[in-house]
Amino acid sequence: MSIYKSAVNKPITTLMVFTAIIVMGIFALLKIPVDLYPEMNPPYISVLTTYPGANAADIETNVTKKLEDAFNSVDKLKEVTSVSSDNLSVVNLEFGWETNLDEATNDIRDVVDRMIDQLPEGVDRPTIYKFNTNSMPILFYAVMANESYPGLAKLMDEKIINPLNRVEGIGSVGMMGTPKRVIYVDADPRKLDAYNLTLEQIGNVISAENLNLPSGNVKMGQMDYQLRIQGEFTESSQLPELVVGSYQGTPILLKDVANVRDTLKDLTFDEKINSQTGLRMFVMKQSGANTVQVARDVKNKLEELKKDLPPDVKIDMIMDSSSFIKGSISNLSETLMWAFLFVVLVVLFFLGRWRATFIIILTIPISLIVAFIYLYITGNSINVISLTSLSIAIGMVVDDAIVVLENISKHIDRGSSPREAAIYATNEVWLSVIITTLVIVAVFFPLTLVGGMMGVMFNQLGWIVSITITTSTLAAITLTPMLSSKLLVLREKKRTGRFSYERTIEVLLDKLDIFYVKTLKWSLSRKKLVILISAAMFIGSFFLVPYIGTDFMPESDESRISASIELQTGTRVDETVKTARKIEEIIQKKFPEVTLVSASAGADDEGSMFSLFTTTGSNMINFMLRLKDLDERQRDVWTIADEMREELAQFPEIISTNITTSSGFGMGGGSNTVDVEIYGYDFNTTNKLAEQIKKDLSELSSAKDVMISRKKDKPELQIVLDKTKLAQHGLNSAMVSMMIRNRVSGLIPTKYKEEGDEYDIRIRLDEQYRSSVSDLEDISLMTPMGKQIKLKEIGQVSEYWGPPSIQHKRKERIVTVSVKPDKTSLGELAAQIQQVINKENIPQDVLVQVGGAYQDQQESFADLGLLLVLSLLLVFIVMASQFESFSAPLVIMFSIPFAFTGVILALYLTGTTLSVISALGAVLLIGIVVKNGIVLVDFTNLMRDRGLSLREAIVVSGKSRLRPVLMTALTTILGMVPLALSTGEGSEMWRPMGITVIGGLIFSTIVTMVIVPVMYSVFARTGERNKIMHLRKKFKFLENHHKA
Amino acid sequence: MKAVFIAFNQAHTERVEFILDQLQIKGFTWWEDVQGRGTQTGEPRRGTHTWPEMNSALMTIIPDELVNPLLESIRKLDEINKEVGVRAFVWEIVQEY
Repeated sequence: MSIYKSAVNKPITTLMVFTAIIVMGIFALLKIPVDLYPEMNPPYISVLTTYPGANAADIETNVTKKLEDAFNSVDKLKEVTSVSSDNLSVVNLEFGWETNLDEATNDIRDVVDRMIDQLPEGVDRPTIYKFNTNSMPILFYAVMANESYPGLAKLMDEKIINPLNRVEGIGSVGMMGTPKRVIYVDADPRKLDAYNLTLEQIGNVISAENLNLPSGNVKMGQMDYQLRIQGEFTESSQLPELVVGSYQGTPILLKDVANVRDTLKDLTFDEKINSQTGLRMFVMKQSGANTVQVARDVKNKLEELKKDLPPDVKIDMIMDSSSFIKGSISNLSETLMWAFLFVVLVVLFFLGRWRATFIIILTIPISLIVAFIYLYITGNSINVISLTSLSIAIGMVVDDAIVVLENISKHIDRGSSPREAAIYATNEVWLSVIITTLVIVAVFFPLTLVGGMMGVMFNQLGWIVSITITTSTLAAITLTPMLSSKLLVLREKKRTGRFSYERTIEVLLDKLDIFYVKTLKWSLSRKKLVILISAAMFIGSFFLVPYIGTDFMPESDESRISASIELQTGTRVDETVKTARKIEEIIQKKFPEVTLVSASAGADDEGSMFSLFTTTGSNMINFMLRLKDLDERQRDVWTIADEMREELAQFPEIISTNITTSSGFGMGGGSNTVDVEIYGYDFNTTNKLAEQIKKDLSELSSAKDVMISRKKDKPELQIVLDKTKLAQHGLNSAMVSMMIRNRVSGLIPTKYKEEGDEYDIRIRLDEQYRSSVSDLEDISLMTPMGKQIKLKEIGQVSEYWGPPSIQHKRKERIVTVSVKPDKTSLGELAAQIQQVINKENIPQDVLVQVGGAYQDQQESFADLGLLLVLSLLLVFIVMASQFESFSAPLVIMFSIPFAFTGVILALYLTGTTLSVISALGAVLLIGIVVKNGIVLVDFTNLMRDRGLSLREAIVVSGKSRLRPVLMTALTTILGMVPLALSTGEGSEMWRPMGITVIGGLIFSTIVTMVIVPVMYSVFARTGERNKIMHLRKKFKFLENHHKA
Repeated sequence: MKAVFIAFNQAHTERVEFILDQLQIKGFTWWEDVQGRGTQTGEPRRGTHTWPEMNSALMTIIPDELVNPLLESIRKLDEINKEVGVRAFVWEIVQEY
């Protein structure tokens, strides 16, 4: 018993099976997390090694180089880059996307274990850091306060962060720019010298006094007492009264030699939100948690918690990644609804029957809902990719049902009972329905095999479309016949009203049929002309290609701008902050779209996780701006960014600015830059070349944000000690450097405890005694013999310049000059840059290459090219087996070039660039276009087998297949229209796909209906003659018999 | 006694069964999925891609007086739509067991 027969004979079972599917789908839908993109594990692992006190060059030779060499043995390693800076070596390892990162981490750990003995002593154990999109903050808050500012950190910790950590799905909550309480003991070196005291002595006294010590038990009477010495400070005001020594019999109090301040930590980092003092709080979710839900829970909880805060503390949202997600998802859901509506209208337009339309439309929710079950089972999320996949599929899932239903109603109209018509009509078409589905799957399935970054997007697309299309076919051969047998009835010929379907639309469609038949006949008698014109069109369209730009990924307007601004190296934080304030003013004056400005200047010396993603330094300002919602402003984010660049160019103190409009962790890394990579060992040569290239590239009108990756040499003060003199005084370099460190940076002998929290007590020289070279030279040091000497007696302080960091790629020193395209495409810019570089005078032993996002783009396009070939091959295989012929697939494939002509035209007319997304659209077209051809050729074959002449068969089948072809093409086209027209959040990403498919499909459908029949007639004539001859040869016996 | 052979498009299956029941004809031999092609007008029924439809056939041995009503019913069935197709042929039964 065949599947469709069982389905018709057991309608209740069929209905129940599909109800079960729908119920499961809805269940899955409720359980699936919502996210922006599928979870990605970018194959990057960083190894962080600290070597305190070493400068960049030391780190490079002693740590980075050794590690790089050792990591070479790690499996599947793609590329090694590194940055060696003062105190820190970061080696970044890039793997292939398919690599199992857990294994890679283990390999790396092994290497680190092996290497640890070969690294210099004093190197801390390297830390292995794995990057995951999940570890990016999902929420950023600005916390502003006036009176409560000094105690903000503690307040936030107790009132906000601890309760928030209990929200389900929260990974962690962190703060940046928190004010820290410190107790400073600023010593006066002259007084110290006068009393013959040293900083270290004071430190020892303070640490010795700040002590609680259990001292045993005492038994008295019946009791057992614990004995404790309670020496810890209970008030910071006790410190100044501390006796730190005696001079000629008089006790010396701490306040005699030093100034004690209980205050906030000195400014190295300044955080202002809308020009108010504050800090930033960020929330990270657990891996696999639902971003939207976690964000909502956190927001609700925060509203509750806010009530407990003092009135001057304000908490504002800076970034909410869930709002962009929600926007994109609701936008796409809307797109999906529109697509659904359009498909319904198209089906109704062509069929003119409510019941038939209902049966066909029912396959849409069923097929789509199965996609949710797939997402649930594989642990995926509802995201932009999966929803877009659904809107691509929506126009195609009805096709099979249409074919089946059309045949069933034909049988019913011939007088069969609906039940029998359902069975026998399905029997007639089910095979060809499966074949056309196979063609679509042949195009989409290879997408699931794509690796790399693109794989993350395309795999889901491939699976979802393959699964929904397969489901739709299953529904078409079970549910559709079953419902037809129940719902369809033989229509009585009845009188029709003036505006009935038969008198309006059907008349129109009939006219279309007649027009098409005329066109077909005309072209069949002018085959050569038609072929010539089409070939000319195809070739002609290629002349438009140079006018179409190429891009890697379309960027989207996320209502967010971040800017990092670099001032002259070595600028003091205070100066940097001043500039930051000036910029803030300008932003508030000239950019009313900006609703929130969060500025941080300087470096947080705590080196939080966040500093891995942004460059900080005393001369750096980082801005995060939030803009009004997309529909509430005139200018888009790119215009604003451009104008901001112009404004910032007015500041003389700004060396470079880098303004980005994306969150930076979207697709393609978010950065669209062409990088000029300069490899070479000598700093001077490469620096000079980089500067020259930067100068030349800045002159290009198509370039903006030209940046050199190597930071300017920064000034350093070096203390050169005379080893002989050191020895005479019984000192050594280590002792001296420790003493200098204590006096300048500070000595933390102990911590002050209050209410369970600990605060540093930092002893150092008062600032006025350590702020010039001569001050430094005047620093007193105590020799082991107890003699006081000045630093200048044993060495001298000199100024010199050193690179703050050294970058490596493929184990070689590298400088990159990165350029962003300005009103042009990445590909074009890269070509121009290549020209500029060719003209440069490049020294020997320096290698210059063009890379960056441009390189990724090239790789991706190569991948897509391969995908195209694979799809074409698979489609050919499927068709050749279906038609049992080599020529028929070729005839059908003649329509493919015109799809590309249509794509080129559409891109040209709409000014869209050829990005990976539009290229993907072009690949998808193959399946859809070929499907039309199959329908046409298959029917023509049928007509000829039934004995019609070639020309007759072509015309008859053309006429009969016009409506189904138009119908399936129109459902797909109109299904894509909302995608192509949508302007909401995140739409930039997928608009090119809509435009590509619509353009390609409109053009190729029109051309297919003419060129495929013409090509058929060219190919079939000889084929047919051969067939007859062949048959005759086979049955020669008849003629022989005749003769005898 | 006469033998009536009916060859018909599968789409008529239920109606043919109904006719037999109506005339209270109990016995028959039924062939499912047989191929055929009409002598004058009938389209081929070959179950191929070109001619996907199929016939069924049945033979029933009935008393002489039932033959005419049966043929009349078959004619009415054919009248619904000639394209679908049904034909009946009658033999004389010479001997039976």
